[in-house]
Amino acid sequence: MITRFITEVNTKFNPFSAAARSTRLFLSSLPANARSQGMKIDTKLLPRTSADPAVLQVKFSTFRLSELKEEYTMHGSRTNKCIIAEDGKEMNLDGAKLGIKGIIEEVDRHSRFLQKQADLNDG
Amino acid sequence: MSARLNCSSARCVGRVIKSQTANLLSRPAPAAVTLIGTSISSTRHYAVASRPAPLNLKTQLPENYVSLTQPPTARRPESRKSQMIRQYTALLRSTPLMLFFQHNSLTAVEWAAVRRELRAALRAVPAPLVGPDGSMPVDITESINFQVIRTRMMDVAMKIEEFFDPEEAAKHPNAFTHDLSQTAYEAIQAADKENPNTAYAQLRHLFHGPVAALSFPTVSPAHLAAALKILSPSAPDFPAPTRRKNPGYYDLTTQSGLQKLLLVGGRVEGKAFDYQGVRWVGGIEGGLDGLRAQLMYMLQSAGLGLTTALQGQSKGLWLTLESRRTQLDEEQNPKKEDGEAPSGESVDGA
Repeated sequence: MITRFITEVNTKFNPFSAAARSTRLFLSSLPANARSQGMKIDTKLLPRTSADPAVLQVKFSTFRLSELKEEYTMHGSRTNKCIIAEDGKEMNLDGAKLGIKGIIEEVDRHSRFLQKQADLNDG
Repeated sequence: MSARLNCSSARCVGRVIKSQTANLLSRPAPAAVTLIGTSISSTRHYAVASRPAPLNLKTQLPENYVSLTQPPTARRPESRKSQMIRQYTALLRSTPLMLFFQHNSLTAVEWAAVRRELRAALRAVPAPLVGPDGSMPVDITESINFQVIRTRMMDVAMKIEEFFDPEEAAKHPNAFTHDLSQTAYEAIQAADKENPNTAYAQLRHLFHGPVAALSFPTVSPAHLAAALKILSPSAPDFPAPTRRKNPGYYDLTTQSGLQKLLLVGGRVEGKAFDYQGVRWVGGIEGGLDGLRAQLMYMLQSAGLGLTTALQGQSKGLWLTLESRRTQLDEEQNPKKEDGEAPSGESVDGA
């Protein structure tokens, strides 16, 4: 799974329900250094009796700091140019319907698009 | 899965035959000893070559022979999974308090850091003064384990633990009662696993993805609270240790590991508890004895209230009747009071 462009993951689920399965698996599929690379991961647990559906919200980056380019003007002063990959898309995924494979497919589809944009801007 | 009867009879037969030939070989030895014993006068003893008896083919095992140490199993006993099932059933039977954590890609270093902090916090818990029922106290700190579990094997082990009753199975003739037996396999196949009243149906969905179990050998709220303060701190009841007291807890590696641990639920005395329930158990003051004391106090005070409530009516009636009686008495002979009053005064004055 491409996790480079994910900036925020918000989840809410009841671990005692079968519907939370794919959401939990998505959380476990995030890389070990996700938090240290600036991804915000927020998990809320619902009580056992709750019948609320599992919530999985994934936010994507507007731009990546690693892609800041420094440009020097004629006078020697420095300006930063941001390379905007995408407008911070938010995805609300229904884990019970999609399943873990479906979630990864959806996230990867958008990530590939962002990857393409970033590559075009870089080149 | 087809139930395989994996009897290691071939190996057993070989072993038994071997042991029997060994017996046959060693049998002439006592005879030699008696021989030597009779010829005391001779000073030299020579080793007596005993002729090995021919292997009796009639010593072969009967068809229905079963080794006591290796009874037939429905699952291959030598595989890791089978031994894991045995391990988990033993764990489930012997452990009244278990917490389950989802661990999201913790690295080995983070595991080590988390376990180090947990161990330190558990060691700091004061040992109980007396054990249960006034026996010698046992320090359970070293027996509290935090281990990653294999969820599928745990699933099977939970079914065996709940739906298979070895004592019930022992009543049937020729039935084996161990956890890997055909009887156990059939019992869990036949069980109603969707019944929401069973602990299995309540807990089964916890065992998806990466899950680790923290197991306590007794229900000890003090140790549970210490573990919760480290692994899943929440502000008012189970605060995380302060930075000054426990700098190792705020180590970058430890914090990174703890962020990836998620308390999903627990199993207390065979019942399913969510994180709130687990915190409630951790908050019981003084452990099980404390809970008993609370119950005793509640029952006693309830009894007191009941007796006063029941007494109140009759007492009120008695008071009314008594006052009416005194009133009637006063009406009948009002002079007596006058006569009594001075005496009362005199008593007071004296």
